[in-house]
Amino acid sequence: MTTLLTVKNLSKTYDSKAAVKNISFEFQSGKCIALIGPNGAGKTTILRTLAGLLKPSSGTVKFTDMKENDDLRKHIGYLPQYPVFYSWMTGMEFLVYSGQLAFLSKTEAGKRAEDLLVKVGISEAKHQRIGKYSGGMKQRLGIAQAIIHKPKLLMLDEPVSSLDPIGRREVLTLMEELKKEMTILFSTHILSDADEISDELLLLRKGEIVEAGSMSELRQKYQTSKIELEFQDDLENYQLKVNKLTNVMDSYIDRNVLHVTATDIIQARQEILTAAANENWPLTNFTLNRASLEDMFMKVVNN
Amino acid sequence: MQWSTLFKKEMLENWHNKKWIWVPLVIILIAILDPISNYYLPQIIESVGGVPDGTVIELPEFTPAEVVMMSLGQFSSLGVLIIVLMSMGTIAGERKSGVSELILVKPVSFKNYITAKWAALLVIVWGSLFIGMLASWYYTNLLYGELSLTALLQIVFFYGLWFMLVISLSIFYNTLFKTPGLVAFLTIITIMLMSVITQVFAHVLEWSPNNLSSHIFEMLMTDSIPSDLIGSAIVTIAISIILVAASILTFKNKELAE
Repeated sequence: MTTLLTVKNLSKTYDSKAAVKNISFEFQSGKCIALIGPNGAGKTTILRTLAGLLKPSSGTVKFTDMKENDDLRKHIGYLPQYPVFYSWMTGMEFLVYSGQLAFLSKTEAGKRAEDLLVKVGISEAKHQRIGKYSGGMKQRLGIAQAIIHKPKLLMLDEPVSSLDPIGRREVLTLMEELKKEMTILFSTHILSDADEISDELLLLRKGEIVEAGSMSELRQKYQTSKIELEFQDDLENYQLKVNKLTNVMDSYIDRNVLHVTATDIIQARQEILTAAANENWPLTNFTLNRASLEDMFMKVVNN
Repeated sequence: MQWSTLFKKEMLENWHNKKWIWVPLVIILIAILDPISNYYLPQIIESVGGVPDGTVIELPEFTPAEVVMMSLGQFSSLGVLIIVLMSMGTIAGERKSGVSELILVKPVSFKNYITAKWAALLVIVWGSLFIGMLASWYYTNLLYGELSLTALLQIVFFYGLWFMLVISLSIFYNTLFKTPGLVAFLTIITIMLMSVITQVFAHVLEWSPNNLSSHIFEMLMTDSIPSDLIGSAIVTIAISIILVAASILTFKNKELAE
């Protein structure tokens, strides 16, 4: 695995307010990376800086195999959060135009545009004015224009947050496919989307990277030793019994769920399940709590 | 190659947003307004009435050169306004709407982006000026007297330079600001300032772009191209080139999104 892009000490300040503070990271090629953070965390600023639309206040952005003075924009595709097109053009015309701007010949651009229109699923609307496209169609056209020149890195700013559930599903499926062909960096505040398609996460808060790593690494790190129990009967009876177990530290009831914290989660599981079997507890649910992305996010962001 | 892609898109867009229709039409209207209304002024006054019987209306006889100057006089106010309004959003509007965010993340050279827009505007402006002056020429020949085709072409060329300067100024402000209205305002203010400065320092600024039309008048009267006209033309071209170069430079150092 090779490093595609190295970002070093990147900072971006607007009118003495820091939007991005001294961040450094590397991308491996072929990965799908999610930038996660609450609104205002600096996600869009980072993407725009990598796309060359903003100039870093300090720090560098470098592609590994890029020559000196080479135009960084040749290697990236970018879809802003709210893409705006020339509404008088048709989808096909816009793609060919984008392709030609990226130095494809007219015939090459035309061929590539045809392929991509099929791939993103709007080929039946290719001769329609973009002004008449729906939000989901524009988003898909936006993805197509971003990859028309086969960039090494595709950057998507909140690609699904403005879409309805169907459009969202379609775009996620498309991203899943594109993952096989290129490195993708996308920002989102919808955690389940990040969980679903990204290999790695960068968690941002107030312009800083507060956590980074693969999903499983982060899960392990933020794993809580918690067991959730639900019963058919009155919970409090069982709370007393559970509390007496040797490996149980503490427990509390919240919305008809008994939350159990354990000193050793594996031992506690053993004890609870044995007791439940022996005493015939009317258990309806037993969950060994895995840290959800949301828990992790809240933990990291609130720290 | 990339330049012609950008240029073709501009030409096509100007067709789609009807600039190719309304700009020439308005320019024709402006060009023929004075020649026609001046010629028919006695009849107009008569039919409106209000003049006591026996009043003799004496109007000066206009020479073709003077009639052309009337058209140019209208161009320098209304014509400039039209050109400013037409060009105020060419870059500013794209940045404001956000479409530039898609275009400028492609490896588009800023030089190509700006000069293609500049050239496409020049084509419209020069084309419209030519058509407008052709209409004015027609009425001049019909109503006032002979004006040679060569003279017409010279007028279109030299006066077109003034419009080129207006376009260049507008492009320059387009790269600085992303509010089309502000671009229009500053372009017009700058032109007014230039005119004041030219008047105040008239004795040293013989070659000011603002003097183009008075030198054109001299050309028509003497039937030869005065050296001051060449001087003004060179100064106008130079300022335009500097403005375009400055636009490219500003764009290079600019944050293209915010």
